[in-house]
Amino acid sequence: MIDLIHVTKHFGDAVAVDDISLSVARGELCVLVGTSGCGKSTTLRMINRLIEHSEGEIHIDGQQIREFREESLRRRMGYAIQSTGLFPHWTVARNIGLVPRLLKWPAARIQARVEELMALLGLDLEEFADKYPHQLSGGQAQRVGVARALAADPDILLMDEPFGALDPLTREGLQEELRELQGRLEKTIVFVTHDMDEALRLADHLVVMHQGRIKQQGRPLELLREPADAFVESLLGGEGRGLKEAALLPVSQRMLPLGPRLLARERIGQQASLREALSLMLWRHAERLTVVDDDDLPVGELSLRRLVGVRSDD
Amino acid sequence: MTECRRLVVPLCWLSLLLAATLGMGQLEGLFRVIEPDSRQVIYDRAGFLTLLGRHLSVVGVAAVLAILIGVGAAIAVTRERGRDFLPLVSQLASMGQTFPPVAVLALAVPVLGFGTLPIIVALLLYGLLPIVRNTLAGILGIEASVREAARGMGMSSGQILRQVELPLAAPVILAGIRTSVTINIATAAIGATVGASNLGDPIISGIVNGNTAYVIQGALLIGLLAISVDSLFSRLPSPGGR
Repeated sequence: MIDLIHVTKHFGDAVAVDDISLSVARGELCVLVGTSGCGKSTTLRMINRLIEHSEGEIHIDGQQIREFREESLRRRMGYAIQSTGLFPHWTVARNIGLVPRLLKWPAARIQARVEELMALLGLDLEEFADKYPHQLSGGQAQRVGVARALAADPDILLMDEPFGALDPLTREGLQEELRELQGRLEKTIVFVTHDMDEALRLADHLVVMHQGRIKQQGRPLELLREPADAFVESLLGGEGRGLKEAALLPVSQRMLPLGPRLLARERIGQQASLREALSLMLWRHAERLTVVDDDDLPVGELSLRRLVGVRSDD
Repeated sequence: MTECRRLVVPLCWLSLLLAATLGMGQLEGLFRVIEPDSRQVIYDRAGFLTLLGRHLSVVGVAAVLAILIGVGAAIAVTRERGRDFLPLVSQLASMGQTFPPVAVLALAVPVLGFGTLPIIVALLLYGLLPIVRNTLAGILGIEASVREAARGMGMSSGQILRQVELPLAAPVILAGIRTSVTINIATAAIGATVGASNLGDPIISGIVNGNTAYVIQGALLIGLLAISVDSLFSRLPSPGGR
């Protein structure tokens, strides 16, 4: 879907992005992560030509991006940024309808699309359609920003630290919603962040960048298990990696079928992460948990030994 | 209803201005008290309405030109291609303001001759700064993220200018135009010294002939005109619905 082939970007003598190659498959959520100044935002902005790359090739669906008119290229990609960039003089509804209006959709279709998106992102039509951006909270504004990016139903969504300025609670909520949306809409998303927890939580494909180069890329669990070098390891949390990995694995992966023993008193959902299970054990001083399904019916059990991955349970 | 109410104050000033223009002759008694020794106490070389009309048209022409040039120049130097000229233009505009209009008149008369043209040039130069400065401030003051999002969404530079930059900068630009026009209504009076006939005539003629009544009549009308126009500007609806 998106292919970067030996792409380099110079700003004068400085090299911002240094010979990177990257493929993002259709429907994949690719997260670029790294410290500030590592070139991740520059890379993102080269994809919609807000920044022109100096060398190499960037392809969208096999076609070079320079073959498109800049404006038409951007109109087929959603773009969401940290500070939202909502137009302060336009209402929420008008902001969301921006790209469809640029594409000259008929008014009725734009109206219907705006209503659909507001529902999708949990923005009450009555309450928010006629509000101005300064009347929204940070989380609401970011929802509007994402709705605007999705408005013309683009295949590709570029997101530059969209949740960076939000409080942790709102951020986690929106991350979860983004994952869920992604599952439903099957967009190809390139997401930039410096927050490793966010990166691990969201990514199908994780790309670690440092000083303009790609240090390592792959599935989050692969990177956690086998970091390429000390930098990637420390960025991934060093000694804390165990907990980060535990946060990615569901309880259902390590639980055992219900045994003949009495059910443990403490319960945990099978979709919860191992990290949550461990936390519950620490909190309740429990060695065993009963795993329950969505209807709160016991489906298995999880011992501390199983949780930490000791192979046999003897 | 609220639309009407916004206009009450400017309409009051306007009617006061009209009343004073048309009814100056009725105040003869009053001016007689101020200037008991003069034979003539009401300026009569031209009707006040005519003078008012000429005054307005001089200021109007100068304002239209200043807006076209000022806003145009400010837009040009905030485009990517014109960025290099940004310091130059803002400096030129501030020089225009420091240059006294009287000096402009003195320099312009030999070139343009007597009459209305030199005063239009002087007012144009004098009125440029507030417009250029405010247009620049308005456009440059727009949050970078808004422009970035506009570009990222695929708006062309023309669309960004018309739909984003100008509407967002409009209140600041309008404030600049308001300052410029209000100042120039007062400044236009000096045009009378180079033969441009306007509300400055009674003042100059009053000074020359030692007739305070004339001076007061001219000053009163100019003052009322400036207040009326200023108050009209303050009632302009601000775009953006804030």
